[in-house]
Amino acid sequence: MADDGEQIDERAGSAGAEAGPAAAPGGSAGPDSGTAGPPAVRVQGLWKKFGEQVAVSGIDLTLPAGRFIGLVGPNGAGKTTTLSMVTGLLRPDAGLVEIGGHDVWRDPVAVKSRIGVLPEGLRLFERLSGRELLGYIGRLRGLPGDEVDKRAGQLLDVLDLSGSQNKLVVDYSTGMRKKIGLAAALLHNPEILFLDEPFEGVDPVSAQTIRGVLERYTASGATVIFSSHVMELVESLCDWVAVIAAGRIRADGPLAQVRGTAPSLQDAFLELVGASDRGAGRELDWLGGGGAR
Amino acid sequence: MSTGSAAAHPAAAPSLTSVFVRLKLSLLRNGLRQSTGRTVAYVASIAVGLVFAAGAVLGLIALRGNAHVGALVVLLTGILTLGWAVMPLFFPAGDETLDPTRLVMLPLRPRPLIVSLLVASLVGIGPVVTFALVAGSVIAVAEGPVAAAVGVLAVVLVVLVCVSLARAVATASVRLLTSRRGRDLAVLSGLFIAIGAQGVNIAAQKLGRPDGLSVLEPLGDVLRWVPPASAISAVDDAGHGAYGRAAVGLSLTAVVLVLLLWWWQRTLTALMTSPDSSTLQAVEKDSGRQSGSGDRGPARLLPGGRTGTVMLRTLRYAWRDPKSKMSWATALGVGLLVPVVSSVQGNGSIYTAFSASALLGLQMYNQFGQDTSAFWMVASTISTPRDAYQELRARALTLALVAVPYVTLVVIGTAALIGPWSSFLEVYGLSLALLGALLATGALSSALFPYSIPSEGNKNVAPGQGAIAWFSLFGGLLIGAGLSLPLLALTIWLHVAGLHGLLWVLLPVGVVYGAGVAELGLRVAAPRVARRLPEILTAVSKG
Repeated sequence: MADDGEQIDERAGSAGAEAGPAAAPGGSAGPDSGTAGPPAVRVQGLWKKFGEQVAVSGIDLTLPAGRFIGLVGPNGAGKTTTLSMVTGLLRPDAGLVEIGGHDVWRDPVAVKSRIGVLPEGLRLFERLSGRELLGYIGRLRGLPGDEVDKRAGQLLDVLDLSGSQNKLVVDYSTGMRKKIGLAAALLHNPEILFLDEPFEGVDPVSAQTIRGVLERYTASGATVIFSSHVMELVESLCDWVAVIAAGRIRADGPLAQVRGTAPSLQDAFLELVGASDRGAGRELDWLGGGGAR
Repeated sequence: MSTGSAAAHPAAAPSLTSVFVRLKLSLLRNGLRQSTGRTVAYVASIAVGLVFAAGAVLGLIALRGNAHVGALVVLLTGILTLGWAVMPLFFPAGDETLDPTRLVMLPLRPRPLIVSLLVASLVGIGPVVTFALVAGSVIAVAEGPVAAAVGVLAVVLVVLVCVSLARAVATASVRLLTSRRGRDLAVLSGLFIAIGAQGVNIAAQKLGRPDGLSVLEPLGDVLRWVPPASAISAVDDAGHGAYGRAAVGLSLTAVVLVLLLWWWQRTLTALMTSPDSSTLQAVEKDSGRQSGSGDRGPARLLPGGRTGTVMLRTLRYAWRDPKSKMSWATALGVGLLVPVVSSVQGNGSIYTAFSASALLGLQMYNQFGQDTSAFWMVASTISTPRDAYQELRARALTLALVAVPYVTLVVIGTAALIGPWSSFLEVYGLSLALLGALLATGALSSALFPYSIPSEGNKNVAPGQGAIAWFSLFGGLLIGAGLSLPLLALTIWLHVAGLHGLLWVLLPVGVVYGAGVAELGLRVAAPRVARRLPEILTAVSKG
């Protein structure tokens, strides 16, 4: 476990650099922590086409380490495609992706041990029980068996899954699946966590649990990058935001900077993606309580 | 006919029946709007259905006057009805309008709903084929105007009984079919279909003999009183002047139709007014699967590290995942069946024991397709060709854990049943070599030609990937056989040169050769897996 010591050192470094508050000015030029080693993620000229459809068209993005980062955009904006390419699950047509200064495609050994992933739309090994799934993925990651079982037990407790730990994942609810997926992503104590729509279809109680775990995790200096289209959530959780629409980055930087003068992130977002003045149609004049039909 | 009665009970402004009929037509039409491959398959299945129906009708008409045609059409109707009864259990997703739980939120009364659903179910290729077969059966036995009139009535009754039987069964079993356990069973139903096909095969062989149709007579005597076949025998009776028997036959079927509709309405009402499994399941407590770290019992015997972890997962999947279970059961069953059947038929040879190696070796193919999109969990833990090698080797070892003892037993069994024992060592050695060759080609084809296995339904290949699947399986089998050629050549040489005393050499040589070629295959495949992880993930995520 020589790796662990290294991880802790790096974290301490980035946590120190993060002393400056989230609203630090001049964030758009890149990470404001010029002194603290490489950014968590650096993406250059990322492209992906599916047949004729361009899903991601030339994304350049630098995300600083040690932050809680939200990747926001409407449905079909390319969030999932981008995250899949960044985490090495989908090969880009063109472009460079670096995680912690390591090229995702040239140096998978350095990258895969440093990241945890919770993808959207991909299955888990659902015919294992929750506990068996964690035992499986932990051992695949090369952790010693005793350590895996200890960590799995604690994660199941914290995520409120202990009662269902011996139930097959195929019988889990959406919220439970997200939580067991999160546990699987956290098990090897990654430096950077990528979560695709971690709160989609999750009940409020599970959402609060997930939130608590993530906040505790970032407080220790780790990086969380998650995608969502729920602006209130992003606004309350994140200190750094990247807005993506139609396969391009529309804005990125510290939350306050992206929000600018708009009253909320929601308003700023609607303006950025060009959907702000689509009024609630006057055509629906028949709609209203009381009158039947 | 029933359209009128639906109009008499208007449930909403437009007639409910026409809404359902149009829904059904839209669903049929939308079947044509999918990808080109699916459209072709869809049109082809309709064409095959129509050609089959036309052929069957012509055949039935040609049999008119045959002494045993009465028994044949009664049996045909019985089989047809059985088909309709079990169809919703095997293909629960076959007809979306069949699922009444989709209608729960709509303000619909049971009686008009049933009439509308019944009329809508008459639209489709299945009812058309049924109608053709029943009409053909009636034409085959109807003699005289009275029989013709009874025949028209019989056709209507039989088709209605078939359709409402399917609907009623589907409604009664919807709880089961929408639960996870029920869907698992539906996947395993492929086994029953395979067994049923074997039965049909044997039956067809018997009927194909001269005067084979007479075999049907005793069965026909019973079935002629069982609705809805009784309506068909009524046509026969009416033609021979037995009007009393005809009336009883027809009314039996009519009574069954009424009973079916009543049962259907009852279950439908119950289904739509009581809480479903999604509500009940929340209260269900932990299913008490053996807990602990998974290091207990026989699992302890597995090696540590990635190898043991992957083996344990694969073994658990072989038992718990219906698709894996099905493919294991098929391989084990058919591998045993080939030598047994050929020994029963008396023309067997000890070389039929190779089927065990061949079928189990093919389990190595498309390893990652068996993971479905959960393969991302494997992909995210493979960084080097070494990781990929360990992953592949663990899967090959799991397979060998079952295959080696199994092949041993089958070869021993075949030697005992068919003989001669003198060939035992030779065949055993060759079998193990073939197994090793298939493990090697299977690993390589898993890396190069992965494809999705849809986790539900009976299909084992995702639409559009059929060619890859066939190519990798059959190409792999050929190449696997090709890789065993050196050993085969040695065998033939030993035989030709008359060195029968040295044939035992094939066992150690086969073991070493099999292990060596498998190892080589894994080593060649591993770097390719490591390089192609995203491509494999994309290919296996289509299900």
